[in-house]
This record gives sequence, structure tokens and C-alpha cells, in this order.
Amino acid sequence: MTLDCQADGLRSRRLGTWARALACGIALAVAPAAARAELGGRYASVMADSVQLRARVKSVPATNYTVHQMSLANGGEVRQFAAADGTVFAVAWNGPGRPDLRQLLGPRFDVVQAANAPAPGHFRRHALSVQHPDFVVQTGGHPGAFFGVAYLPQALPAGVTGSEIH
Amino acid sequence: MRPSAPRSRRLRAFILLGLCLALAACGGGGGGGSSSTASGGSGGGGGSSTPALNNFAAITIDGGPPAIVAQGGAYNEPFVTVTLCAPGSTTNCQTVDHILLDTGSVGFRVEASVLNASLLAALTSETDPGGNPVGECYQYVDGYVFGSVKKADFTLGGGQVAGLPIHVIGDSGPFATAPASCSASAGTFLNTVALFGANGVLGVGVTATDCGPLCASSTSQGSAAYYDCPASGCGAVITRAANTTAPFEQLPNPVAAFSTDNNGVIVSLPAVAASGAATLSGTLYFGIGTESNNSLGSATVIATSTSTSPHGAGLITVNYKGQSLTESYIDSGSSDLFFVDTSIPACTNTNLSGYYCPATPLMLALTLSGSNGASVSVSQALNSAQILLNSNISAIPGTGFNPTTSKNLNSPSSSFDLGIPFFYGRKVYSAIEGRAAGGVYGPYVAF
Repeated sequence: MTLDCQADGLRSRRLGTWARALACGIALAVAPAAARAELGGRYASVMADSVQLRARVKSVPATNYTVHQMSLANGGEVRQFAAADGTVFAVAWNGPGRPDLRQLLGPRFDVVQAANAPAPGHFRRHALSVQHPDFVVQTGGHPGAFFGVAYLPQALPAGVTGSEIH
Repeated sequence: MRPSAPRSRRLRAFILLGLCLALAACGGGGGGGSSSTASGGSGGGGGSSTPALNNFAAITIDGGPPAIVAQGGAYNEPFVTVTLCAPGSTTNCQTVDHILLDTGSVGFRVEASVLNASLLAALTSETDPGGNPVGECYQYVDGYVFGSVKKADFTLGGGQVAGLPIHVIGDSGPFATAPASCSASAGTFLNTVALFGANGVLGVGVTATDCGPLCASSTSQGSAAYYDCPASGCGAVITRAANTTAPFEQLPNPVAAFSTDNNGVIVSLPAVAASGAATLSGTLYFGIGTESNNSLGSATVIATSTSTSPHGAGLITVNYKGQSLTESYIDSGSSDLFFVDTSIPACTNTNLSGYYCPATPLMLALTLSGSNGASVSVSQALNSAQILLNSNISAIPGTGFNPTTSKNLNSPSSSFDLGIPFFYGRKVYSAIEGRAAGGVYGPYVAF
């Protein structure tokens, strides 16, 4: 089963966007104003992200989770992985530029910044990454073609392997 | 750490400029591949009936600018030298060395801190329809740069462009702070030489401009985004047309802006012994199949993804140990081979976290293929990165890095980044999208 929902993100149409979201059968347990969008947030946050990112959303169920695929205006894509209870446990992206990671990662954006702050010593140019027990970010690419994934290892649904998150 | 453009370096810059004015090969002008802009030097051939070719610039791999040497030095960073002049001026000029040669990005960008005050003040501002200066944000894999878009008369080896749109990183006024929509892409604001690793960057990737059709819409930026910058600060994203010839609205690939030899580049670097080299010299050729020194020859053309591909431009497929890595690329701006193979020992020295340290050198079997169906198999050396601890060596073959060292789950991987170690001992071609190069339209890479 595939849900195909549009969220064009123009602020003046936000009400209409949410109406369409409801029409698409998305149960909003949280009011839009409280739908803080972030990794680790709830399913409703996916729609908030789609508004911020001006993206179309297509939801594709998998065995233990649902992938909410957001098609960006620049041709890129953001994929949010939500567990059965609605928790967003992973976000992946690819496209000509990195998406708004402050929006997608929420408070963990600051963790990314801290983990990638310039270090003393030899100059080395490496892709952004975070390797914490409870938060992992892996990115790569070059200007015009970037990709990456951020996930919460401790929130992965049973049976989910890394190769599925991309 | 913050570079202060010491007086000694400025002096050296002027001496270099003087040398260039004395040598035709530095200034362009007379040769078969010259452009017709600016004043430039005298004819190239010294009276010979066949004009000497000047469609090239020197590449140097060394420890980098002083701010980087002070940190232990750069490695596997290819540098070129450019001369910038105020538009129309032949005297308000500055030669800037240690510009990173980057086939993985597009556009010429320079740190404001290395420019003389007189030159910086005389560069023409690009303005938007509201009359305000134009700013730009550009993402790199480790962060972003933000600053003004200016015009300068530009000389690179024997190539020249009058009024080239360039990016001045980290300049003052409304450009001092990056807009929130710029910094939201994460990473460091690379607004100093020490952070950027070079005085600037020469982006000569496979597209003619740095954003293409995406920036013609205010809602679909790519790695580049342009901003309206009144005195109160930069805020609103603005549209910039994707003109691939002058007048440009976006930053062009400087080679695409040349009047001839403008369909791509060849990066030619000699082979390096496994023990490395303190410095290394190579050549950046302009054009493919346009002169006697830049023919495609027997190189195999591997078509890359295009600027309208969903994953972006410049990507090829690398097959490695049975994996088809579809987001791979060849990139002179990468100092190492970046790929995932947990069967290869990682370095145990904490200063080399993430690098590969095989006990004996490995030969990696790679097959590169493109959207045109062509493929080439190569054997790529991978050496222990232990050699990086010797800071006197700047050209180091076979260094590799695993960007996904997580132990938490099997790391997803779809990419093999063929950085500078791939370039040693090769001529690597990079053809610009939409331009015929040696009888084949870009975008492609070839070697």
C-alpha cells in the first residue's frame, strides 16, 4: 500500500496542507503547533518537516517500520524511517545539496556541530560524521551530489539492519 | 591560527606577479589557446612561426599556505596560483597561491583575509534587481562557505577571464554572518585559511555553473544558494539565471568562462614512490581535444550523472568486491580514497582514527563504469596511512579513509571517493556538461 500526499509548504496554504494530510489518512495525535520535527520525534513531525522542506511525501510501509519519502524541489529526496509506534529512528538524504538538517535532526543538530568542530593538529578535510553509541551520522559526496544518513541505534526496530537505512 | 596575510607573503605575491608579467607563459595572450580579454602578456612563441601553447597552469602539491603549515601541513592537496585584478585595472592586482584545484566543485572562491585591502575594495559587487549586493552560500562535505559575489579580472596560467564572478568568503558587512538557511546544512563556516585548508578553491567540476537550473527558482537550491544582501544583512534567497556563457549570474566554472579551450580540463600528476614526496609538480590543461596537448587519445570516456539526475551531477559507479557503489566520484579535492571495507585493518594510532593501515600494501581491484555503458578496471594501491605521521611529506600515494566507522550496525555504503591517490601517475579528464569535448558531450570523466 502506498499513500501519496502533497505538502507544498507555502505558509499561506499550511491549513490546506494539514487538511490534505488528514485526507490522506494520517492520524495526527499531536496538534500541528506541537509537532516538533526531528529525528527521535513522532510520526506527525514528518509532515512538519515536509512543510518546512516544501516536499511531496510518499509513505511506504516495510516489515517493522514505514519509510516516509519526501521529494524535494531540487530533485533530491529525504527518507524518514518511523517505527510502529511512530518514532522516527532514522533519516536519510541525497541530492544536489544537503537538506535543512537543523529541521530534520532537531536538538541533535547541535551534537553534529560539536562532533565536527575543527580540531587542533593536522589539517584534514573529512565528511561530517557522528559516531556516538546513541546517535550516528554518516555523510558524503561533493558539491552538487551529497548523501547521508542519521539514525538512533538504540531506537532501531527489531530486525532492522544497516543496509536497509539508506 | 587565523591567517593575517603577513607582509612577507604580500611581498612574495608581488614578486611572483612581476615574474608572471615577464614570462609570457604566465599571462596568456599569444598562444593558440588564449582568450581575448584583458591586456595580458606578449605573444608566446618567441618569434616561432607556431605560437606556443599556453592552455595550461602549473599544479603544486606541498604543505600548503603558512596557516596550514603551522598546523602540520597539508597532504595530497593540489594547488594552483591565480592572479586577480580589479576589473579593467592592470595595476590593482594580486597573485594568490595555494588555491585548491577541485574537480569536485564548481566556481572560484577566495578567502577575503588573503586579499589586499585595495584589491578587495575595488572588486565590483554583483547586484540583484533590488540594487543590493548578492551573497552566496556554498556547501562542502565538511561545512559551508558564505560571502559576497564579486567580479574580478582573472588569470590562471595561460587562461584569462575579464569580469569573472567570484565568491569572496568571509568578508565583512552584511556578509560576516551566514544566514540561518545556510548554516542549517551543518558543519563549519570555513571562513579562514586555517579552516578551509587553502587560500581559495578553483572548482572545475563537470558543470558550467555552480547551481544550474536549480537557482533559477527561489525554492530549489542545490549546494549553492544566492542571497539578497542589504546593509542590514543577508536574508532572502534570490533567483539567479543559469546562463552558461557570459554574462553569468551564477559563479561559472572558470574554465567554462574561457573564450577557448573551455570544454573541460585534464589533471596530470606524475606517479609517486610509496615513500611519498615532499613536493610534487603537475599540470592542469584547459580544454579537451582542442589543442595538440589535450587530445583524448586512448582515454576511456565514462559518462557521469547530470545536473538533472536525482542524486546530483558527477557521479559514476565503482564496483568493488562485488558491491555496485552508485554514488562514487573522482575528486581532486579529496586527499584520500574514501570507501568502506571493514576487512582492511584500521589504524590503531589515535591520530589516524578512520584511516586504513594494511600490514602490507594492497592492490584494490576496482571497475569504474558510467551511464554510457563504458567501464574500465583498474588496480589501485592502498598503503598504510602510518606515513601520514611524517609531516615532511606532502604527496602520498595510496592513503585511504573509512568514513563510516560505526560499530553499531552494518554501515550503509554506496560510494567510493577516488581522491588524489587515484590521480598519481594518470591524466584524468573532466568534461563539462553540454559541451562537446573530443567528440563526446560532457559531463564525463576519462583517464
